[in-house]
Amino acid sequence: MNLFSQAFRPVGSNRVDPVLCLLWFGLIGLALVWIAPFVFIVFTSLKSSSSVMGSNAFAPPSDLAFVNYARAWTRGSFSTTVVNGTIITLIKVPLGVFLSAMAAYAMARVPMRGGKLLYLLCVFGTMIPFQVMLAPIFMQVNAFGLINSYPGIILPYLAFGVPCQVFILYGFFSSVPKELSEAARVDGASHFTIFWRIFLPVSLPALSALVILDFVATWNEFAMALVILQDPRKWTLPLGLMAFQSQFHSDYGQLNAAIVMTVLPATLVYLIFQRYFVAGLTTGAIKE
Amino acid sequence: MARLSLRPDKQGYLLLAPAVFVYFLFAFYPMLDTVRMSFSSWNGLSAHRSFAGLDNYRAVLTADPVFWGALRNTIGWTVLAVLLPNLISFGLALALNQRLPGRSWLRVAFYLPVIIAPIAVATIWKWMYDPFFGLFNNLLTAWHLQSWIVDWLGDRHYALGAVFAAHVWQSVGFSMVLFLAGLQSVSTTLIEAARIDGAGRWAVFRHVTLPALRPTLAVVLVLSVVNSLKAFDIIYGMTGGGPAQSTQMLAMWAYTQAMQLGDFGKGAAVSVILLLITLVIVVPYLRWSLRPARSGK
Repeated sequence: MNLFSQAFRPVGSNRVDPVLCLLWFGLIGLALVWIAPFVFIVFTSLKSSSSVMGSNAFAPPSDLAFVNYARAWTRGSFSTTVVNGTIITLIKVPLGVFLSAMAAYAMARVPMRGGKLLYLLCVFGTMIPFQVMLAPIFMQVNAFGLINSYPGIILPYLAFGVPCQVFILYGFFSSVPKELSEAARVDGASHFTIFWRIFLPVSLPALSALVILDFVATWNEFAMALVILQDPRKWTLPLGLMAFQSQFHSDYGQLNAAIVMTVLPATLVYLIFQRYFVAGLTTGAIKE
Repeated sequence: MARLSLRPDKQGYLLLAPAVFVYFLFAFYPMLDTVRMSFSSWNGLSAHRSFAGLDNYRAVLTADPVFWGALRNTIGWTVLAVLLPNLISFGLALALNQRLPGRSWLRVAFYLPVIIAPIAVATIWKWMYDPFFGLFNNLLTAWHLQSWIVDWLGDRHYALGAVFAAHVWQSVGFSMVLFLAGLQSVSTTLIEAARIDGAGRWAVFRHVTLPALRPTLAVVLVLSVVNSLKAFDIIYGMTGGGPAQSTQMLAMWAYTQAMQLGDFGKGAAVSVILLLITLVIVVPYLRWSLRPARSGK
């Protein structure tokens, strides 16, 4: 492999660099520190309470108490929170990306008055964190009678997700060559057709990257859900985990099983779609 | 889709409409409402909001013993969160940009905490800080450092630092990926040329790598400032602002005032102050970043 034949050699040199070798060992050490919490959590999740208290923190579990997972699943109402989280994520994420794509296409490709202002507003929107105004969001959702409902959480999620996604897709659509859409314009195709038939297919990789990033963000979101979903039957996983922690924090094995079950979906999605993460993040932040 | 005989700009407005509609209703309006609410006295329940002028601001700035502590924590947290994790991220990115075996796995290891829900990070770290069976005190015992054992989250001298450590663990990977992407734009031919000309490691870094990374640096700095101003989940999950308000932050305090103590006016005043701080940092950045975009067209 190319990487291995060039390993430890700086750019422009063919000699093995001792500094790089040292650096490598340092990095491996630091990486081990970084993943140590995960190891600790998984180990603890498989220990019975008595062996948590009796054994060394990093000792592998001897009794393999899978029962922790079953207990945590029922006590933490995971069957409810998983379903809620799935419904909310499955509706919000594709819908949000689609709305953003439409808006980004219009801003990037349709000459209209006020386009620049909208773009400015959008960039401004990417920078305003909603954590700052949880109570007013609660009031607005309440005014529509949507507290404790799926639309009640999905609509603010959409509102605060749109600017960032529009910003990313605007950059992407602006870089699509003009010839691609001009020909269709000349043939009399509407902007709707061009968007649907040309821009959506062309930008599929960028859209998938956004979908995957947004999946993780939506699945993990806590603060907004805390304010809007107050009924335990409507809770998502982060809310469920928080409640589990405050109720059963001394059942160490089960608490850690609950943590593992909460973070597993996002972790798997990341490990499977790794390269999309980098693609999505970098088109978003660096390309300007 | 059917061919519609609408003027092109009308088609554009139609495409924009849904996103703009949702944004204005559920993001922009609440922001304006925050400002309006901050000038009124309201418990969130009664139908009537009475105008209170600057009372809320006066109460927050002069009579609220928690506000100034929360402001100090927010500023300290933000400054440290911009410096410390990003320095680590930068170092990691530089190192992982070298030809090292297994570097993609190393990247995964450092990025993994980023995709974990912040509330789960809080739960994980709270458990690691557990005074009796947690990882840290366990390790200290194993290393015969029993005298160092403290109740990390229960002691107001250590709590904020303990929460910050969890934040560092979670956020290093994010900036690292941005830096790595920025490093891709550094021309390798330029580096090779500099090397051949006899430039040392430091000279290459100083005169080739660093200038090419300037736009990335700006993005990373602004993103980490905004991310730390909104620090909420991790504090809510680990300490809830305690002990003795020692980990209280503005975003959390605004939430507590309105949603838990029922004083929406005062909560909104705290929100507005936080919004203003955000604007002071964001607006100059926006002006800076939009200028090259305009000339590029």
